[in-house]
Amino acid sequence: MADSFTLPLRPIFEQRDHPDTLPVEIAQINNQWGSFREVNEGVLRNKIAEEEEKDGLDEVEESDQDATDLDSTERLEQLYKRRAEITQFAMQAHMETMFALDFVSLLLSKQAPRQAETSMSAFLKQVAPLGSLNAEVVNPPPKPESTSKDISTVSRGWRIQNFNAAANKLLQAASRLETEVASETRYWNEVLAVKDKGWKVSRLPRERQALGVQYGFLEATPVFRDRGLASLRRAEDGALLLDEGLIPSKARYVRVRVIQDGRLSGCSKPTRSTFDGDGTIEDRILQARDTVYEEELFHELVREARAIASFGVTTRQNLIQIPASDDLEILLDLVDTDENALQLQHNISQQGTSLAEGLAHTIRILLAYAHRQNLRRRTLLPPPLTPKTRSIPEHQLIRPALAYIKHMSHVRWLQSLLKDLFGVLQSANLKPPAYTAKVFSTRKQRHASPAPAVETVIGQFLTPLLSTFNGKILTPRGSFSILIHTNLSSPPFGTTFDVSFSMPEYPDFGSPGKLSQREEVEAAITHLLLLDVVFTISSNGSPKSEGEKDQAKGTWEAIYPQHGELLLSPSKSDKRKKMKISLSRHELSIEIYTVCCIDGTGRGTCEHPSYPSAPHTWKSSPFTGSPNQPSLMDFVST
Amino acid sequence: MHEQSLFASVPVHQHHELLQQLAGLTAMQPRHCLERRLIFKAYRKPGLAGRIGASQDLQQGDLQRLNKMLNGNMYYTQVVGPVSEADFGPTGPVDQDIHMVGMDDSKPSPSSYDYERQPWKLEFRDIPEAGTRSAVTSRLMSSATLPQGDVVQSMNAWGYHFTTEYVVEGDMFIHNDIAIFLHRVLHYPGGNELNVPRRQLPALKDMTLFEKSGSYVLQAFIIVQDGSNQETMKTASQHLFGLREQLKSAVLLEQADRLSLDTRAK
Repeated sequence: MADSFTLPLRPIFEQRDHPDTLPVEIAQINNQWGSFREVNEGVLRNKIAEEEEKDGLDEVEESDQDATDLDSTERLEQLYKRRAEITQFAMQAHMETMFALDFVSLLLSKQAPRQAETSMSAFLKQVAPLGSLNAEVVNPPPKPESTSKDISTVSRGWRIQNFNAAANKLLQAASRLETEVASETRYWNEVLAVKDKGWKVSRLPRERQALGVQYGFLEATPVFRDRGLASLRRAEDGALLLDEGLIPSKARYVRVRVIQDGRLSGCSKPTRSTFDGDGTIEDRILQARDTVYEEELFHELVREARAIASFGVTTRQNLIQIPASDDLEILLDLVDTDENALQLQHNISQQGTSLAEGLAHTIRILLAYAHRQNLRRRTLLPPPLTPKTRSIPEHQLIRPALAYIKHMSHVRWLQSLLKDLFGVLQSANLKPPAYTAKVFSTRKQRHASPAPAVETVIGQFLTPLLSTFNGKILTPRGSFSILIHTNLSSPPFGTTFDVSFSMPEYPDFGSPGKLSQREEVEAAITHLLLLDVVFTISSNGSPKSEGEKDQAKGTWEAIYPQHGELLLSPSKSDKRKKMKISLSRHELSIEIYTVCCIDGTGRGTCEHPSYPSAPHTWKSSPFTGSPNQPSLMDFVST
Repeated sequence: MHEQSLFASVPVHQHHELLQQLAGLTAMQPRHCLERRLIFKAYRKPGLAGRIGASQDLQQGDLQRLNKMLNGNMYYTQVVGPVSEADFGPTGPVDQDIHMVGMDDSKPSPSSYDYERQPWKLEFRDIPEAGTRSAVTSRLMSSATLPQGDVVQSMNAWGYHFTTEYVVEGDMFIHNDIAIFLHRVLHYPGGNELNVPRRQLPALKDMTLFEKSGSYVLQAFIIVQDGSNQETMKTASQHLFGLREQLKSAVLLEQADRLSLDTRAK
């Protein structure tokens, strides 16, 4: 642009018509410096050294002054002195101004006495009568030609200098404009690039002349919603700067750590790797967005954690501790993305990591879901205005995840319990029928909701969790079903086991109903299976005895099925035998006594262990039904 | 409950632009609404009014209240039922020609509109309060959900005649506490010769505009729970004024003429 700009701005230098003649210059030098004969290297060096010293002295003096200034009393003194000086100068200036005013007033009083009188001092009015001073234009004496020539030369020089200065300024302005245009172009191009990427670019509400980019979430909590707007400033060279105000520019994220058995077993990774300072503007916007999201997430997590403190959740300033289940603990904290690097240690297990990652994703998805719910709530017809302000309920972020973990832990426990018990039965060759487990058998809402599919899916996750276990038992037509409910969103909180039996043989044996402790559940199921075994033994004998009456040794009769006691009353002998069965998670044991009582119902006092009295036990083992162990039925029938 | 509102008239050419402006302001997509509105007029049941005899066992205050109740103003009231575009009939007989010969469904399929399952809401609006110093239209309002289906019978039982019906189409926006309803009134084709609400709806295209130019009415309103609470009423009108300021460059929201919103039955 500067090249095409051909307008001559600088004045054209022309040769001075008569330059100073050499003799004149020599005479000038002689006057100023003395004769040329006395100039030699030594003199010049001295001169230079002298000048340098003088400059140096000045500086030293100044620095000395600074040093001494430190003394406070001296400084105070100096301050007073200076102030006095200033006052003095001011007084003097005032006095001189008053003199000048008096003088002008007196001069003017000749022409306009009324006006001039007002500005005259009282003293002058007393001393000098009005109009006593007059001024007349006097023709100046004609200047000599040399003077007029000097004046014309000087004014010519001035003009040239001014022209030069003007030209310089114009050229400077031109080049400044040029760089300005270039940087503006760059700025707007980058702004357009940001806009083309789909970011919302708008004017800032408070600073009307600045541009801002909206990267936050409209449905977030107001504090974080308002922080989702950063202004796009222009650097000196036109580069785009993202001015986020008070937000720390560091990228932060909510870290999920899983503590298993008191040691760290898993840790979630940052959602996005950090950028250095040279990231593109897009990267920086993304980072700012992520940070706002993460901070809001943590804010909401803390809010929720306080609300569910009754579950044992504790919050510190920057840490949430959640005892999830058994020996599992979850820690949530907000950390810088680059802090994680040194944490990668050997203890981390695959399972723990995937749990931590899963949790990290879950809480983020749930926050996004909460945002959608906020939008839905916001666009509904508002309720009538009341003086009361409604409190915003805590979002469900931890609770669904925690419910899931608790629920899964209970389901696994029940599964292992059933597996153990059935294994014990199997080892005794009882062949229990299989049971069916339906984990997460929550009823699906059939009604078509207008919400998109993704919201429906998450909505189901927020409903109370339910798993069912159904199965038949050895008793014909008998069955059991166990329902596990976990609900952390609405009271009653926690997990309940709904155990129900159907045993036609013991109609008065009621189902235990809702239980909440694992011990109770274990006792109830064990008891059920014990009854089942007792019934099986007692019913197993009967058809046999009918068919082969002569051989039969009798039937076991369940006398105290609740205690697992059976009585054998053979027709021939008087001695009655009593069998006591006990079933636990680990073993099934049978003991046979001989009882002396007539009816055999007496307990405790007259019971004697029979000879081969060693109680027989079956333990669950991987080799079920091993040949060296007799089955329960064989044992019973011997 | 009280309703405070401001109104503006929106010419049809500005409608689209205003929709976009409102969508930007409220940060939401417009919610399209179609509403059937039935107008009922209260009438005095013969023999009830003006009977003052046998009042010796009534207290003076009770008597006054009873008289006021019996001889007070009669009002028009609206019954509003939300409908959807699918509820309206097919576009008209022209469509039948397009149907190919031999197809089974050559008859125009009746719309899925089921009058018996139409939900209704009773909406009562009083005449706007007179002499309020504030520059918003403030009126007493009340609404109640009615049983689905034929509403005329129950309304008759309460002393209301069916008068006429029309349809309102428009878009709803929500801005904090304020509901913004940009709507216009549609009439049924062929006038209202019937004395009962329609059981089938004609095609939406055949509906005629009440305002021939097709212009819309912008109504911004806040519903206040307790009209006697000056503080809340003031807050509500402040919010409306804030909205008026924000929309100043687009439309001019102002108080409606009080008598044009008169719902009293003469």
